[in-house]
Amino acid sequence: MSRPGSPAGRPSGRRPDIVVSGLGVVSPYGAGVKSFWTGLAAGTCAIKPITLIDTEGFRSRIAAEVPAEAVAALGVSRRRSRADRLALAAAREALVDAGLEGPARRRSALLIGAVGGGMLEGEDWYWGETRGRPSGSLRALRSILPLSHAETLGWRLGLTGPKETVVMACASGAASIALGADLVRGGVTPTALVGGVDALTHICFMGFNALKLLDPTPCRPFDRDRRGMSIGEAAAFLVIEDADHCRARGGRAHARFAGYGMTTDAHHVTAPHPEGEGMIHAMEQALADAGLASSAVGYVNAHGTGTPQNDRAEALALRRVFGEGGVLVSSTKSLVGHTMAAAGSVEAAATILALQHGLLPPTANLEHVDPEVPFDCLPGTARPAEVGVALSNSFGFGGQNVSLLFEKSAPRD
Amino acid sequence: MSHHRVVVTGLGTVNASTAGGREALAGALALGRSAIGPVRTFAPTDCASRLAAEVDEATLASLVDRDAARRLSRICRLALGACLLAVRDADIAGGPGLGIVVGTEHGDFTSSRDFAQGYLRRGPGGLSPMIFPNTVMNTMASVAAIAVGAKAPSVTVNQATLAGDLAVARGARLVADGRAAAVVAGGVDELFEDVYRRLSQMGALSPMRSRAPEGCRPFAADHNGPVLGEGATFLVLEEREAARARGARVVAEIAETAWGNVPTPPHTGHARRRDAGSPVARLLRDRAFERCYGAGNGDPAVDDWERALLARDLGAGSSLLPPVSLAPLFGQHGGLGALRVGAAALDAERGAASVLVHGIARGGCRTALVVEPAG
Repeated sequence: MSRPGSPAGRPSGRRPDIVVSGLGVVSPYGAGVKSFWTGLAAGTCAIKPITLIDTEGFRSRIAAEVPAEAVAALGVSRRRSRADRLALAAAREALVDAGLEGPARRRSALLIGAVGGGMLEGEDWYWGETRGRPSGSLRALRSILPLSHAETLGWRLGLTGPKETVVMACASGAASIALGADLVRGGVTPTALVGGVDALTHICFMGFNALKLLDPTPCRPFDRDRRGMSIGEAAAFLVIEDADHCRARGGRAHARFAGYGMTTDAHHVTAPHPEGEGMIHAMEQALADAGLASSAVGYVNAHGTGTPQNDRAEALALRRVFGEGGVLVSSTKSLVGHTMAAAGSVEAAATILALQHGLLPPTANLEHVDPEVPFDCLPGTARPAEVGVALSNSFGFGGQNVSLLFEKSAPRD
Repeated sequence: MSHHRVVVTGLGTVNASTAGGREALAGALALGRSAIGPVRTFAPTDCASRLAAEVDEATLASLVDRDAARRLSRICRLALGACLLAVRDADIAGGPGLGIVVGTEHGDFTSSRDFAQGYLRRGPGGLSPMIFPNTVMNTMASVAAIAVGAKAPSVTVNQATLAGDLAVARGARLVADGRAAAVVAGGVDELFEDVYRRLSQMGALSPMRSRAPEGCRPFAADHNGPVLGEGATFLVLEEREAARARGARVVAEIAETAWGNVPTPPHTGHARRRDAGSPVARLLRDRAFERCYGAGNGDPAVDDWERALLARDLGAGSSLLPPVSLAPLFGQHGGLGALRVGAAALDAERGAASVLVHGIARGGCRTALVVEPAG
């Protein structure tokens, strides 16, 4: 039996430059990139008591929900699942922001990171049925699968490029960006609409409660006294594009997508590798893919869930890659919760906006930094900093590790 | 930018007809015997549908060790069994260069049901932390990655009808782009009573409320829906030069892949909807093939749409119409697309110049893989 060896590496020939030309977000702050950035910049923690799910008897009873009034104002039919509504609104904003129209838009790839699908509505049906109190229509089950978002968006937005639903647990949104970038880089399509979505579901809330991974109070990533994560819901999409194509059509770039790394721990179904081995390789791969040294990176938007295990392993990995205190670090999850399949794309958007604005979002609720985390984790307040390159980490169940690198572009008009 | 060339060096399948490597699949295809029969694992009372293609539990038990069998759900055992057969067939070991791509339509609904039932019966105290991770669709990939030591990208794609095709196409892309030296790629689904019953209730399975008898009859005048199957099929895909360097027995080359979307409302198929200019249409333009496998599975919406799309792209008079469907032998499941690619690879190994594996699914996903003899 022989090993396959290392990946054959980057194919020869000119490698197209890739830019992020559109952003769209529906977050616990409300709809739109503007409200998202305002919330992040102010360091507002959007984690509150849950309204969507009965929390009686559970250890944690909080989450970061998209406000009801924001969902109602999305302009998407109430007949669609909650997750579809969030996704469609965020995707539309990204396409409008990119100014992508006509054939260029039609040819776009569509890659969506998803886990819960339309489970929230499916659960209502299934639970009623199981308890002998049937309610609603069997049609609710039609949108229960994660693939339903790509079907809905592909149809409503009229896209004919490659369409994929990527399920990689909490790394799904980041993976969809990485895999979409490969399609653009490989010349399959000049543009790709990529991102992730998840709405709150009973099964997710109950599952993380059962695993005792939820903090009863808003999560405190990298804090000595952290007790777990807070779940959230959101949708975030990016338009990524061949830089020449973007320039030729008069598009504008938010940032340059510099590269990515994607690895698997192959260690445990739920726990990260204790030494952060796969995380280290993902970050190193991203740097190699971008042709950058670790010293070029000024900010890391960490996976930073707030669970004892994740934060410890991530800190170890960051120390190996960047050295103690070698980079500024913060966790967006302390502000908008862990938005599951959307987290990777929500945090990619946060990273890009931080580069654009020269302002790094803080880690909320961080009072006593864990001595095992030898980094400035930007507690409480956003910090002005002109950073040229930033990294966004996303890790998930199954030992899935994705690191995305973004580079600052020239200012937008 | 140029790309690395991708070859198939191993194959593993666990389906209702057979379990094994390339020889087992070749044998089942040569035999051509349908594995569809009355459902055995549950009583489909009150269902209009009563047929399925099921994997024998004893066969499955022989593929996965007893310890793993106790810990893992059935769909994880199906995926793991086929992955282990594929890496054995390819004689390849794990490491940082080995990736995995799993396609599935339904994932592990059995675990989702069991997890929810725990709560519904006993409240929060009835929730099992052991079952919860299985409710996430990437559980099959993570279990298989641990077992075969795959540390390169591990990707799960969720797709109706074409889960296996799309997974193989994505796996080939990872190798072509240099993201992995080798990838174990394929698809899996299990037969699950609740899904079977609901699909039957919704009229999504044969006989679909028609008067014709229940059965899987792709492209036939009296086709009236798919018959569900279960199983897993995985291929080992490798960068061609690396495969040669390690002396691997190459089955065939994945010469081209393309996938795209034909915009249509979710869950529907429309024979009149076209995708001119899409990646698949561009790939098929002015190409000649010796053989064509299709995704047609007896669902009139899929069969008619596939025939119309291929008539436009290959010519209305093409001798390849209708395409060859393997659904009547193995039943419709997430591994069937990878099984089709495996069948095409075996054709190419026997000398077929160029084999097209085509697919279209309700909701508009369209795929094409071109398999050729390894040069």
